[in-house]
Amino acid sequence: MTRTDKTNGSSTGPNGRPSKEAKKKGRPEPPSRFYGTPLPGVKLEELSGTLFVLEGTDGSGRSTQISLLTEWLESEGFAVQTMGLRRSFLVGEDIDALMAENSVTRTTLSLMYSTDFFDQLERRILPALRSGLIVLADRYIFTLIARSAVRGIGRDYLHGIYEMALRPDLTFWLNVRPEIAFDREFKKAQTISYWESGRDMSLSNDLFQSFIRYQSLIKREFEYLSKRHGFIELDGEGSVSDVNRVLRKRIAAHLGIRSTHYQPSHALSHLWR
Amino acid sequence: MCLGAFYMAITFPNIPAAEDTATVKAVATKRQYPGALVVVEGIDGSGKSTQLYLLKRWLEIGGYRIHFTEWNSSPLVKSATRRGKQRRLLTPTTFSLLHAADFADRCERQILPLLHGGYLVLADRYIYTAFARDAARGCAPRWLRNLYSFAPVPDITFYFRAPLDVAVNRIVAGRPKLKYYEAGMDLGISLDRAESFRIFQERILGNYDQMIETDQFILMDGTVRVNKLQKLMRQIVGERINLDQFAPKKK
Repeated sequence: MTRTDKTNGSSTGPNGRPSKEAKKKGRPEPPSRFYGTPLPGVKLEELSGTLFVLEGTDGSGRSTQISLLTEWLESEGFAVQTMGLRRSFLVGEDIDALMAENSVTRTTLSLMYSTDFFDQLERRILPALRSGLIVLADRYIFTLIARSAVRGIGRDYLHGIYEMALRPDLTFWLNVRPEIAFDREFKKAQTISYWESGRDMSLSNDLFQSFIRYQSLIKREFEYLSKRHGFIELDGEGSVSDVNRVLRKRIAAHLGIRSTHYQPSHALSHLWR
Repeated sequence: MCLGAFYMAITFPNIPAAEDTATVKAVATKRQYPGALVVVEGIDGSGKSTQLYLLKRWLEIGGYRIHFTEWNSSPLVKSATRRGKQRRLLTPTTFSLLHAADFADRCERQILPLLHGGYLVLADRYIYTAFARDAARGCAPRWLRNLYSFAPVPDITFYFRAPLDVAVNRIVAGRPKLKYYEAGMDLGISLDRAESFRIFQERILGNYDQMIETDQFILMDGTVRVNKLQKLMRQIVGERINLDQFAPKKK
């Protein structure tokens, strides 16, 4: 189908240099799209697309919502690009390898994630935004800041690194209690992973306790970040369809889509609970 | 030779002698480890590696507790760096971050434990390499300073300076082909590698020069004869660092 082709189309290939046709349609320029010093060589007026971010811990339902939103937006005729952690071509796999070993230290891991983030920002997100696409980010700098901050890396230091990141148009926070997140994650994998439970932090030898303490620390960081960066907080414990309805409403209002009606296709109906 | 006599004669007090200037940064005085850190900086071909090697040999032969570390050498992020360079995927920002991750690995797993363990650490290139080189690529200096703020401040930073032509000729003569990033080809300054390399090094040199005062570099003239320069280097190290604390323990 041509529409789907266009969606993941050529404009966002690894070497994609989309044309500079970000024609301004008299739309007023949003205040400042970077937190601080912009990335070298980026022209803000070229960025005609929109960036929506979904944040939340493991088990908050982010990925499910991204899949559904992608389908809904595509059915409305919008081209969508996604991003997520460890998906960069440059270092995505290297981070997996680093995490499989137990020798990586916190600053190195933190900076490898920054590399991964900026590689995706420069090679995937910015080209997509130049082509007027909608970018749905499955996590963003906030998770990276929170994870590093709970490990004792300074918040100012972290904000300093990510000041060159692009400010999202809207950031949604799917907030769930750690206990609920534990249930969901355990159901998925029949166990809890080393990093999800923050075991590198020596919080507890009991996996459940470790998970709860770690996710509680992360949650506290998110509460702080939510105030600082104006998150839209959603009840991540609600049903998939309820959360999705709120997301569609906010996104539709932002994009000027009139109808927020959506029924998932057969392929995604299993997600609809 | 007379080397032994030379360093045995040194009985200078402790590290602060290195920073008796009024402009000591707060961080520098808050050192919380018994070790010491000596770094060499300068553009390619300035002679810094040769000089640090000779310094290392001098201390090694004397049996001192030392460790030598060089820029861009940690195995953990090597594969990523190699892939990025081979396929030319690196932008100024990711180039800088990847090197910072690499440095953080060395810092947290080598340099800091060694400093806490009372070693004299010798570093061939340090954070100033990143400041000079990444700024030449277009990264914001303020951003770079923050990025590397976890690094311990050196006790001595030797800055080897050679005229651009001398340094560039040393490199170009010894290497059949300059590498893509090494020559700064990613900046698109010139299609000719040698030309690009020269302009890139010129920018780096300018950035180094700006740090001489702010970061208390000790300027070393890279055109001076090797053994003469080494003599001076050893003298400065002996004056500014209490080498006794790194000396082999006598029974």
